[in-house]
Amino acid sequence: MIKFDHVTKRYPGSNEALSQVSFDIESGELVFVTGHSGAGKSTLLKLIAAIERPTSGTVLIANQNISQLKAAAIPYMRRRFGLIFQDHKLLYDRNCFENVILPLHINGITGLDAAKRVRAALDKVGLLHKEKAMPITLSGGEQQRLAIARAVVSRPSILIADEPTGNLDSSYAADIMGIFQDFNQVGVTVIVATHDARGMSATQNRVLHLDHGRLTVSNSAESVNA
Amino acid sequence: MNWLNQHLQAIKLVLSRMDSNKLSTFMISLVIAVAMAIPGVFYLGVEHLSKLSNHMQNETEISLFVKLDEPASTLTAIDAALKSNPAIQTYTLATKAEAWEDLKAKAASSKINSEVQNLEQNPLPDAFFIQAKSADAAALATLRDELQALPGVEQALLNAEWAKRLSSILALGTKIIAFIAALLALALLVIIGNTVRMQILTQKDEIVVSKLIGATTNFIRTPFLYAGIVYGLFGGLLAMAMLMFIVQLYNQSVAQLSQLYSNDFSLAWFNPPLYLGIILLSIFIGWLGSFLSVSRAIAAIKID
Repeated sequence: MIKFDHVTKRYPGSNEALSQVSFDIESGELVFVTGHSGAGKSTLLKLIAAIERPTSGTVLIANQNISQLKAAAIPYMRRRFGLIFQDHKLLYDRNCFENVILPLHINGITGLDAAKRVRAALDKVGLLHKEKAMPITLSGGEQQRLAIARAVVSRPSILIADEPTGNLDSSYAADIMGIFQDFNQVGVTVIVATHDARGMSATQNRVLHLDHGRLTVSNSAESVNA
Repeated sequence: MNWLNQHLQAIKLVLSRMDSNKLSTFMISLVIAVAMAIPGVFYLGVEHLSKLSNHMQNETEISLFVKLDEPASTLTAIDAALKSNPAIQTYTLATKAEAWEDLKAKAASSKINSEVQNLEQNPLPDAFFIQAKSADAAALATLRDELQALPGVEQALLNAEWAKRLSSILALGTKIIAFIAALLALALLVIIGNTVRMQILTQKDEIVVSKLIGATTNFIRTPFLYAGIVYGLFGGLLAMAMLMFIVQLYNQSVAQLSQLYSNDFSLAWFNPPLYLGIILLSIFIGWLGSFLSVSRAIAAIKID
């Protein structure tokens, strides 16, 4: 599903954010990307989501080389993903329902069908009763769950979350991790970057550990540590 | 269907944004309206004058002034020459004595030109007013030259000549209007482009999020293009209202003049081709202005 082959990413005027990283993620896996802040977790996720392009090496998503994608093809590639950010990136000028419907409008889905799917997504994250509320009135945990609803409403095959529990206390964090595990159980590939081991401790999931841009631990056989 | 839906969504979004920013929407529409109405007024004026001068160019009258101090036999000779000229339809003679009495009478009744009363000598020439048979410009000019060559003639004047001069001045005026309109259109492009760019900046968050979740540039751009179109539409309608108001004022003030000249000086209150042209042009300018700025402004927004 996702294949990194000797991927290096260097930002202009800085050291390598990632060096020679190689790994494979199969469809339906739940993978944690760990490492201290600045280890390259966010860069790795941005490469998967085609927000950045590798300096060298290849990134294959569903057998498509993202370096060779035309600019016009990138939006369609991104629709395979549900992206969740630490700062939620919600739109505060509209209510919860309208936040969640945005990906459907982008996909050209409107009307009753869209409304049904929005309510289903809100229901999954336990926010159905707040569809008319403005995001600013929600708690941090609720805002993150709203962001998850927006990420899953278009039924992506891959969920990517960057520090989804970074600002939350432990009970909320466990709650959010529980939601990810539910999605993983119905076949969605889930990739979660975190410096926070709280959500992972209960489960035996695969971990990609980054240290200064290098992959140091990968409890999966095919990973390469250069 | 999908395509249509996307456009309907974009229009709905634009209208609701404008609804929540009524004042600024009105302001930008007003700027467009003024910029469209200014050349519109000039155009109406020039078109109106052209119509009048075209009408006058069809006149076939030639005024023939006889030299002062010519003996009466000269008048008889000219009269005979006119009578035998086949190009002349009719003619009348206004002798200097008649003209003099006429002038004195007019001066007395108007009480303006009392100086006329103090003149000791009649300064006016004998004059023939001639209607030619043909309205053709070349034929008229030939006839004028022929009459000018008669002995004792001071000057033969073709009345249509000044109308022709006026019409060539008006042609120049039309060019100047086109130039002013082009400059104003350029200014509008910049103003609309800038307004749309500012809107893009205020909607930066939404654009970033939309890009991240897979919106195409087209999807992001469409609402802003519609914003330009709607500004143009509002501006064009407002310009039409302004022009109608101005025409109405003009018509009221020339009503009296029209009566005096037993001529219709009034402008058409409703001028569909002009108004339609103004509205379509301002819609086009609105679209083009936002099109020119939107792609660059959206590309300048980085996602990360």
